[in-house]
Amino acid sequence: MRSNGTRTRVPQRKTIDTPLGSASLTRGLLDGKQYDEPIRVLPDVNVIKVGGQSVMDRGRAAVFPLVEEIAACARKHNILIGAGGGTRARHAYSVALDLDLPTGVLAAVGVSTSRQNARILQMLLARHGGVYLNPEDFEKLPLYFRVGCIPIMVGMPPYEYWEKPSKSGRIPANRTDSGVYLTGEFLGARSVIFVKDEDGLYTDDPKKNPRAKFIPRISVQELLELDLDDLVVERVVLENMLRAVHVKEIQVINGLTAGNLTRALEGEHVGTTIHVT
Amino acid sequence: MSLAGTRSRPRRTHIPSKLMRESLLDKKVMESTETEQELAILPDVNVVVLGGQSLLDRGKAALFPLVDEIVHCRKKHKIIVGVGGGARVRHTYHICLDLGIPLGGMAMVAGAVDEQNTRLLQSLLAKHKGITLNKDHFLDLPLWLEAGMIPIMTGMPPYHYWEPPTGDDRVPAHGEDLGMFMVSEVLGGRSMIFLKDEDGLYTADPKKDPKAKLIRSVGAAELLEMNLPDLIIERSVVETLTRARHIRQVQIINGLKPTLLRRALDGEHVGTIIHAGPLPRASRNGLAARRAGRNNRAK
Repeated sequence: MRSNGTRTRVPQRKTIDTPLGSASLTRGLLDGKQYDEPIRVLPDVNVIKVGGQSVMDRGRAAVFPLVEEIAACARKHNILIGAGGGTRARHAYSVALDLDLPTGVLAAVGVSTSRQNARILQMLLARHGGVYLNPEDFEKLPLYFRVGCIPIMVGMPPYEYWEKPSKSGRIPANRTDSGVYLTGEFLGARSVIFVKDEDGLYTDDPKKNPRAKFIPRISVQELLELDLDDLVVERVVLENMLRAVHVKEIQVINGLTAGNLTRALEGEHVGTTIHVT
Repeated sequence: MSLAGTRSRPRRTHIPSKLMRESLLDKKVMESTETEQELAILPDVNVVVLGGQSLLDRGKAALFPLVDEIVHCRKKHKIIVGVGGGARVRHTYHICLDLGIPLGGMAMVAGAVDEQNTRLLQSLLAKHKGITLNKDHFLDLPLWLEAGMIPIMTGMPPYHYWEPPTGDDRVPAHGEDLGMFMVSEVLGGRSMIFLKDEDGLYTADPKKDPKAKLIRSVGAAELLEMNLPDLIIERSVVETLTRARHIRQVQIINGLKPTLLRRALDGEHVGTIIHAGPLPRASRNGLAARRAGRNNRAK
């Protein structure tokens, strides 16, 4: 190797001739319409998020009946569970925030709480076929469904230190709602259902404002326009839905009411549905 | 276990903390988590990205002089090297799009091309303490940097199947440029330099448009507003720069003129500088204070 100060000839690129060969892949350059729509990878899977604070942190009284209902539903439907974080994630966030740490570190530590909850759910569901799904084993999903298992995974997406800084504050924008939604969108899932502890979306936090009104059905566009101070799913889920190919409707249901999950899986409207118009 | 008819509302068990009963989606709560002095984790690290198509795909003639330059610069500066993908990533995307592979699947498989490039580059840099840094070993960075190593990373961020949808664009928005930008941002690094095969950012692709003009310096928000037909770095980098807390500027330089790297690392303006613009409100004072602190130490 020798150092090379000034150069007379630019060394040639070795290229591969494809329609994208010389594209710089920055926005707008690629005419995506020259390709057909993406396939649905696992179109009969239902992705269900079990809330952390809303369900797990309520303990046995909330979790046991829900586990039984999930087990019963899994006899008829393919169910993939994503676990939320909850109180311990918030505690970790508040310590990290106090230490002046950046968003990426919060996102990285947030994964661990969600992993605890996934493992706890796996132990409760084990005798019904619950298996813990490592993100590295994501491609084994077809195997698990083929043998009738209920895979349970971490809700957090794997962004960790690569989570982009938020527009406001340092709480990561992509948390367990986002991860679970994106899992469903990638798989081209049959449904994506968020199991929480409220009947769905309200005009304000019903735990704090008794006059908050229930919204049974709303479009993403309308919801973004309302610009509510608080929401029942992470904002980034709504933004991603606008650009999604497959999952253009989600449902948020109350997991504390028996039978809601069963009915939602049958296609019934039991909570708030948010859809793309 | 029994299926209760109507479930009573069991109490949540809380740990008392600032965010305990708050909705993390509440705008006021989110805003309250801003800090005036976010911690810089590795403030003396410089992140340098080698373009895939622009440099690695040009082989020996482009890479050997650049490798010598990186080794020279490492004597003075701590450097993390990131690699781009290049022609094989474009081919991967083309085949995947043709087969109908969803976006997340494309993001998942594309990283393998970066992996090839890290192995190639590591072979060249091995005798100069070049070492491939798997993202699982991200936390080992201090050890490696203190030992004088040159960590080489795959640029793609680990978004994998969870790459957010991009609508009609159809290809992942978060590539090697964004991945390495986030490395420097989360570490609170000293500088972020993109090595490409042009003198910087032009008003259009200079390879296709001979009338394209070099932009020496531009604000990130201003650049987004210009809505140029082509950018030399990923748009997601420019977008993220507008809300970055640490990285106040990135520089794009010509890797075919290798000695520019030492000058850029010494703080010279030798390519295109994209400025972050104003900080998010609450961070401003803190950053100014920290900077003043740094300068005082330097004196």
